[in-house]
Amino acid sequence: MLAILFSAPAVLIIAATILAPFCIAVFLSLHNWNLKRPGRERFIGLENYIDWITDSDFWEPLRTTFTFAILAVVLIVLLSLLISLLLNEKFPGRGVLRALLLVPWAIPSVVNALLWKWLLNPQYGLVNAVFFELGIITEYQNVLGSMPSVMIWLVIAYSWIHIPLATLLLLSGLQTIPGDIYESAIVDGANIWGRFRYITLPLLRPMLSIVIIFEMIFALKVFDIIFVLTAGGPADATNVLGWQIYTETFRKLDFGAGSSIAMLLGAITLALAILFYAVLDKGTER
Amino acid sequence: MKARARIRLIVIYLGAAIVLAGTVGPFLWLVSSSFQYERQLLNRPPQWLPNPIVLDSYREIFEGAVLGEASGVPYQSRIFLRSFANSFFVAGSVAGIAVLVGAYAAYPLARLTFRGRSVLLFGILASRLIPALSLAIPIVLVAKRIGMSDKIVTLVFINLSFILPYVIWLLQSYFKTIPIELEDAGRIDGCSRLQVVHKIILPLSLPGLTSAGILAFLLTWGEFLFALLLSETPASYTSTVVVSLFATDVDVSFVSIITAGVVSVIPPIGFALIFQRFIISGLLSGSLKG
Repeated sequence: MLAILFSAPAVLIIAATILAPFCIAVFLSLHNWNLKRPGRERFIGLENYIDWITDSDFWEPLRTTFTFAILAVVLIVLLSLLISLLLNEKFPGRGVLRALLLVPWAIPSVVNALLWKWLLNPQYGLVNAVFFELGIITEYQNVLGSMPSVMIWLVIAYSWIHIPLATLLLLSGLQTIPGDIYESAIVDGANIWGRFRYITLPLLRPMLSIVIIFEMIFALKVFDIIFVLTAGGPADATNVLGWQIYTETFRKLDFGAGSSIAMLLGAITLALAILFYAVLDKGTER
Repeated sequence: MKARARIRLIVIYLGAAIVLAGTVGPFLWLVSSSFQYERQLLNRPPQWLPNPIVLDSYREIFEGAVLGEASGVPYQSRIFLRSFANSFFVAGSVAGIAVLVGAYAAYPLARLTFRGRSVLLFGILASRLIPALSLAIPIVLVAKRIGMSDKIVTLVFINLSFILPYVIWLLQSYFKTIPIELEDAGRIDGCSRLQVVHKIILPLSLPGLTSAGILAFLLTWGEFLFALLLSETPASYTSTVVVSLFATDVDVSFVSIITAGVVSVIPPIGFALIFQRFIISGLLSGSLKG
């Protein structure tokens, strides 16, 4: 009784804003529902879904989304692994460095996009200036204006605020590995690579799996940074599914089509999370 | 051996220097740029430190808020401070309510055995797997129909529901770390369940409640999607929305855009650095323990 009483407010709030909208979203996705043509709403079954999966307007953004997500996850995991290994060493100033990791973490994604828009400015951006002064480029580039540079910088900008949390999670994983395992490995003559390959990596695997799955789920639904930095451009080069859903729904006002493509993205994300979980989790039990 | 230790330290500090530059460098450049004259920003090579320190763009924001159109500053600068206050209101309310409501929901999940406990826990977690974009469509539609669009309360309510599962998860794992003996002792002394929660669990969970509250504040402060879709006028714009209005407008001067970015992250970065211990412990327990 007490349990029901205590959890009731929270459950009601969650149900009202997550469960109910979810049901409405399913309902919308099965209807022809365009705000530009009011009064013509009607049930059309799976037509919205069929339209999408037979249309390159779904497959192109899907490919872009995966390109972006895979690049971002690889960059985030590699860099956060390196940084967490560094922070796992004892040295004066370690605590300060760990605390400063929270600076990028605390920056909202929209402000991050603004920050990188400034850094990458084609005429005055710091990135251009640094590359120019170092002699890597001979004239300033508009990196957000062409492929593949726009994708590369989008991934870097996105990853910058996502690396800190991944690092902290991996660091907490590293700290559960008992130090004496390493000591006995040193006695047995294992070098630094051997210790990483045969002790750190296998023991870190559960945490690594969590980080990979989390980051993948986040990256697949990227939206905020696209809105400010590229608006899907140039020429659809960064038109990810999140952006496609936004334009379809809130610019073309086709709520039915928007809902169904959003459902597809949700289903893909969920399927991938389950698949990853199964594969990566099985690996740890070996 | 001594030489090896030295090499180890050199390698570590080299790595630390790179990480430090990569972590705070981009943001420090934004701060430095905000204190310069517009024309200085166009220098090649760039001017690293502001000289002199120019506060014009900061003054614009205050003048714009006070004088309105008479100040002659860009539209975004005039509405910025108001959106800043809106963000404070939304994030503060969400943090307060989420901790209050979340604590009561988390207690039975942590301590009581009842039918449907695991279903409840799973349901709360699974609700977070649904992409916000797919929920945004019906939420915007319904909010417009019932006249709740462009209202700050709506933003509080929506953010609350997205933060709650996270807060509940974090708090129930924190409650589990409190020794059950303390609770038993309270029960023997004649406390009811409710009194146990109020007099023993909640006071002992102050660090956990603080972590949850700060995380809720920070996550809400940075929220963009719903803030964008559910606001139509400056009355309900949050700071992230106005920042996006700045960033996507080509007519506004760079310094104004940059300054808006800097000001809008003062609360989250300040909080993050002041409460870093609470945040790090909260982030870790939220996603690890269970």
